[in-house]
Amino acid sequence: MSTEPHILVIDDEPQILRALRTILTAKKFRVTTASRGEEGLALAATTLPDLVILDLGLPDIDGFTVCARLREWSNVPIIVLSVRESEGDKVRALDQGADDYLVKPFGIEELLARIRVALRHAVQTPGGQETIIKAGDLSIDLARHIVTRDGAEVKLTVTEFKLLAYLAHNPGRVLTHQSILSKVWGIEYIGDVEYLRVYISQLRKKLEQDSRHPRHLLSEPGVGYRFSEGE
Amino acid sequence: MHFTAASRWLLLLRGYALAILVTLALTLLMYPLRQQLNTTTIALLYLLPITLNTTLWGLGPGLISGLLAFLLYNYYFLKPYQTLIVHQSQDITALLIFFVVAVVISQLVGRARENLAQARASERDSTRLYELSLALGGVNHEREIGQILATHTLETFQAEYVEVHIAANGAPDAFNIQEPRGMLKPAVSPMVSMPLETTRKRLGVIYLWRNLEPLIGTEERMLRTFATQAALSLERATLAQAETKAHILEESDRLKSALLSSVSHELRTPLATIKASVTSLLAGDVDWETQARQDLLETVNEETDHLNRLVGNLLDMSRIEAGALNPVRQWNVLTEILESALQRIHRTAQDYRIETDIPDDLPLVPVDFLQIERVFVNLVSNSTKYAPVGTIIQITAQVQEPDSILVQVTNQGPPVPQEHLERIFDKFYRVTDAERVTGTGLGLSICKGIIEAHGGRIWAENLPDRFAFNFCLPITWQGKSPAAVDPETL
Repeated sequence: MSTEPHILVIDDEPQILRALRTILTAKKFRVTTASRGEEGLALAATTLPDLVILDLGLPDIDGFTVCARLREWSNVPIIVLSVRESEGDKVRALDQGADDYLVKPFGIEELLARIRVALRHAVQTPGGQETIIKAGDLSIDLARHIVTRDGAEVKLTVTEFKLLAYLAHNPGRVLTHQSILSKVWGIEYIGDVEYLRVYISQLRKKLEQDSRHPRHLLSEPGVGYRFSEGE
Repeated sequence: MHFTAASRWLLLLRGYALAILVTLALTLLMYPLRQQLNTTTIALLYLLPITLNTTLWGLGPGLISGLLAFLLYNYYFLKPYQTLIVHQSQDITALLIFFVVAVVISQLVGRARENLAQARASERDSTRLYELSLALGGVNHEREIGQILATHTLETFQAEYVEVHIAANGAPDAFNIQEPRGMLKPAVSPMVSMPLETTRKRLGVIYLWRNLEPLIGTEERMLRTFATQAALSLERATLAQAETKAHILEESDRLKSALLSSVSHELRTPLATIKASVTSLLAGDVDWETQARQDLLETVNEETDHLNRLVGNLLDMSRIEAGALNPVRQWNVLTEILESALQRIHRTAQDYRIETDIPDDLPLVPVDFLQIERVFVNLVSNSTKYAPVGTIIQITAQVQEPDSILVQVTNQGPPVPQEHLERIFDKFYRVTDAERVTGTGLGLSICKGIIEAHGGRIWAENLPDRFAFNFCLPITWQGKSPAAVDPETL
């Protein structure tokens, strides 16, 4: 039995399967491929992969259904592959339980970064909660509600802190506008994206070295925000 | 004309009374002169009231006045006076002549009157018909044709209610038009229904309700003519629509081939670069230096991005063409959109100095984040194509009126001749030589499509030392101003 992480790739494009198999194998992953949704679900059940890469456009059942059916019995991280023109699809896939998405065409470093984040997240979830999150020049103390940048404390309002804490608690993951709004403001604010926009720009001014070129609080246009721990 | 029975009787009675009166009056006039006039002249003069009465009031009054004239003539003017004794066959002849004159005149007058009535009716019919065809002329819309037909039918046939049912393009498009509008359709079944049909097919039906007497022959013929006119108009409308459609198709065909030729050229350029770089690396005969290998790979990477942008532009354009752009509007921070755009094209724009000046207190804008991001990407990348490397590309925004913002993207590129300023937003319109500058000629027309879908306006202008793209966007949405997010204290 190998200890290399096992990745299941479900995509109907043979070229993509071939490229991903080659690249991921070279990066020391064990790779299984499926070109249909049903086949992918069956392989997921029999091979129990550590991560699933799922294309949304499949010939038999669509990616959303695969996502939802996987989630019925498994917490395996799912990274969805989509195209630029379908922001609604990304949000829908994330709502159906996908952990992340990647827009075709993508660079391989980007894919590897997402895989790392998803795998780390999967490992962390059952374990204990970290109370201090470090991200580059930032340090966020979740228990004491203290945020410092380069060692100096940054004063945040209650909502700003809640927002930052929620984002930083899910480093590297894209969180949809809706999920952030319902988590930070409450379910009744789910349509009021303007709150989020305003608070994000306030947080960027307080926390980012250059609020115009944020390194931690990243926009995912049309989908949501992602907290990056920075280089 | 329609009269009630009572008024008709009254009219007839008046005729008789006047006929008698006129004959008596003539007798009164001639009586003093009976010595001077011979009996033949008198008999001749009596023809006057008979003719007059027959002409004016008809045969009955004419005959009465003939009889009366004979009696009066005999009584007052034939010797022996004051008697009604008929002596000679001559006198009988006079009576007969009087009657014959009355009958002949009434016949003649009746015929003339009938002719006149007929002429008037046919004039009226042709006027009605003329009015209908005039109204229908040039109308190419089924609903309008139905409306015109209903209104004219109602007036012409003095109907209570008219319904026009039109199913010109098959059942799904079928509709009814009622006249007078707002009146309930009579519960009884229509008095007449007349199909609207051409030689090829049935296009609808006219239903007509009328409380008066049923349609007579001429009226029915008239209604049929109406129906034929309307059917022809409907057919013409269908043909005109088909022609318009064909014209649009032709136009879009022409655009498609322009697009294809532009696209295949644009796609080949990066593909050629990629192919050349990759085959060089694959060929085992050269031992590439690390730097050279890196350069080739960078090129491949850049060109794939370029291809991806190209495909994105094509998709955007086809969406704009199909009218399927539907911005997903949300209240957004413009700076955030701009920064996201600049990140997307940092590789293209890295040889330029990008300066942004957007006030912190700029209101939120109700826009589709990705679409406006696309506008910024396209405007900046267009700037990089024409402005010299190392120059400044500046992006500013400000509130212009109480309810809109003005965004300006300026570059230090050469001015664009005045006559091109309007047209640079047109599809495939390129000011410069297509071979020299890469692009599909779609970027700016996509910007225009997006800004207009947001209810805004985009234009270009030459400033003293720069070239500027301007666009304004409304900052109210569904009648609402930017949502105020209450500031929170520490």
